Amino acid sequence: MAQTAQQTISPKTEAAIILRAKGLRKSFRMGDTRIEVLKSVDLTIRQGEFIAIEGRSGSGKSTLLHLLGALDEADSGSIEFDGRDISTLGSTARSHLRNTQFGFVFQFYHLLPELNVLENTLLGPMIEYSWLSFRSHRSELRKRAVALLVQLGLEHRLKHKPSQISGGERQRVAIARALMNSPRVLFADEPTGNLDADTGRQIMSVLERLHRESAQTIIMVTHDRSLARQADRTLILKEGKLDRPADSAAPASAATA
Amino acid sequence: MYKLHLILKYLRKRRIAWVSLIAVMLCTTMVLVVISVMGGWLRMFRQSFHGLSGDVLVEADSLAGIPHYQEMIDKIQKLPEVEAAVPTIRTFGLINIANQLRKGVQVLGLPMDQIGKVNKFPESLHRQYQKYIDEGKKPPTPSFGLVPKVPYQLLAPNDKRALERPGMVVGVGVVGIHKDKNGKWVRPDWLYENWAKLTVVQVNPESAVLDLSKSQADTYYWIVDDSSTKVYQYDSQTVYVPFDILQRDLGMDQQQATNPNTGEKVTIPARTSDIQIKVKPGFDLVAVREKVGRIVDEVRKERNIGAYYPITVETWEESQKVWLGAIENEKSLVTFLFGLISIVAIFLIFCIFYMIVVEKTRDIGIIKSVGATSGGVAAIFLGYGTAIGIVGSGLGLLMGYLIVHNINYLHTELGRQLGIVIWNPEVYAFDIIPNTMNPIEVTVILSVAIVASILGALVPAIRAARMNPVESLRWE
Repeated sequence: MAQTAQQTISPKTEAAIILRAKGLRKSFRMGDTRIEVLKSVDLTIRQGEFIAIEGRSGSGKSTLLHLLGALDEADSGSIEFDGRDISTLGSTARSHLRNTQFGFVFQFYHLLPELNVLENTLLGPMIEYSWLSFRSHRSELRKRAVALLVQLGLEHRLKHKPSQISGGERQRVAIARALMNSPRVLFADEPTGNLDADTGRQIMSVLERLHRESAQTIIMVTHDRSLARQADRTLILKEGKLDRPADSAAPASAATA
Repeated sequence: MYKLHLILKYLRKRRIAWVSLIAVMLCTTMVLVVISVMGGWLRMFRQSFHGLSGDVLVEADSLAGIPHYQEMIDKIQKLPEVEAAVPTIRTFGLINIANQLRKGVQVLGLPMDQIGKVNKFPESLHRQYQKYIDEGKKPPTPSFGLVPKVPYQLLAPNDKRALERPGMVVGVGVVGIHKDKNGKWVRPDWLYENWAKLTVVQVNPESAVLDLSKSQADTYYWIVDDSSTKVYQYDSQTVYVPFDILQRDLGMDQQQATNPNTGEKVTIPARTSDIQIKVKPGFDLVAVREKVGRIVDEVRKERNIGAYYPITVETWEESQKVWLGAIENEKSLVTFLFGLISIVAIFLIFCIFYMIVVEKTRDIGIIKSVGATSGGVAAIFLGYGTAIGIVGSGLGLLMGYLIVHNINYLHTELGRQLGIVIWNPEVYAFDIIPNTMNPIEVTVILSVAIVASILGALVPAIRAARMNPVESLRWE
């Protein structure tokens, strides 16, 4: 679960493959018709990479992120995490994976309104630990959560409710929550989509810093090309398939396989 | 950990859940009050009726009574299970108290010195029991021979037989003794200084014709004590007189008669209307009743007691079965009706939880995205339901206790302020509303309330658990 800052600093081709998707398909029923959102997507992500998946609204980029993050199940195809096929895992094992290996940052922050900033940050460990073991680890978990929040400039907001803080601050709380269990992969779904340009830039710099300083593997989906360019690698999702940006000739799957 | 944390947060922050909490509380209170009052009523009924009668009763089914009762009593008292057997007479009469009060009464003839061996009647006496208890003294063996405050001669100077007058105990309601608003008994000043004339009518066991000119008997008594059994029908209309005097007045003592058909002299044996039997602790009343029944049959056979004297042997519960059965039925009916109302509470919880689950759809997606399992999500809502059940029924218990404990005060105030009188002692047989709770009934009611809350939350919890995290996150 823990990932140390000493790990790979920048994406290198020789770094271990952390996530690999093969032939991913996903369709949704819309009334009487079935819409195929993903049509055989192949993707390989190495440890420490910062990948941006770019696509227009409705192109299926969030769906792809949900499949990679074990939030949803594909119709067909496989996803390997650390060399292990996770597409066949049961619901409880997928939940455990989301809790201990993955972190999510969503466009609409998705914080629990009843919990304060600190409690929202501690949600992952709260789910991971039983009541007793949470109590015995409480002070170190709290310390870690506070450290993360301080790092994200939220030290003065610990006891505030999500409704009492700004959009940028909420998104930083969401990032702190996602990082709380030291995820191997951080999934960010339009993390700046609901923020003004300045705040969006701040959030992007947080993600960049995480990637740079802690070699955090990040998969971000965005419709904003300028944001996508800040990643190590950008892939474009178009008509249900992944492709390299227009300035690149080879398909993404071929390039990363 | 998060489950408990969220349950506590939801419980504090979600005002809508308070509605279901209040519903659980009110239902629990309502059922607790009803069951406590009805159950308490039944218990009071049993205690009071049992307190006024022996464990097993030999009862005459006609006014003719039970002949050869002393022979029966001697034999019954030889049974190893029997502690004592005492005869009593029941009849009706007219009472005239110092020309101030005239009314029809039920008359009970008791051997006062012995009645305490078979039932708790002496404990109902004011001057010979309660007064002693209040003063922390040991009460004496009760009697009808209590000396009045003023010499009899002064009260009735023209009556030469005043000193010979026997004593009478009156039910508190007969002479208007009542409790004031502070619960203290109020007795008329004149009570123990007055005479009472009791008129009873003799019933000849072998004649269908009632000749009032011959069969009427008037006896003057002194009122020597009053009795509060807490059973309304006794306290409001019963007077208690010495057994032998009532027996004589009713012509139930041993008499000589002539058979109108044969001209033969016959002896009509002394009669009583009941034999009250006290059974030693630990013995089965039904088995004792069987044995007593056999003794009665034996004496009837030996003495050739004919069809004029129908006799029944019953346990005290059997003799009151019409009342007890009716109350038990009423209690069951009321419990059933309030149980139905509680089902409404389950649906209310169901609807509110369903609303909460819908409202919390996105939160469920968030929790799942952070790694909560479906079981964990279900546990949150089931735990939430359980918490509402526990807190709601706990508050219901508190409120129910306060109401039941103060029900008589509340009822009095309700009557005084708004003129609403629900508890009519003439209907319910007791002048006070039962105000105790049975721990077993309380435990059952609280458990049902908690289970009902969990049931109400069950379907919404399952729905929450089955939610797809992605769809939940997209919920608007």
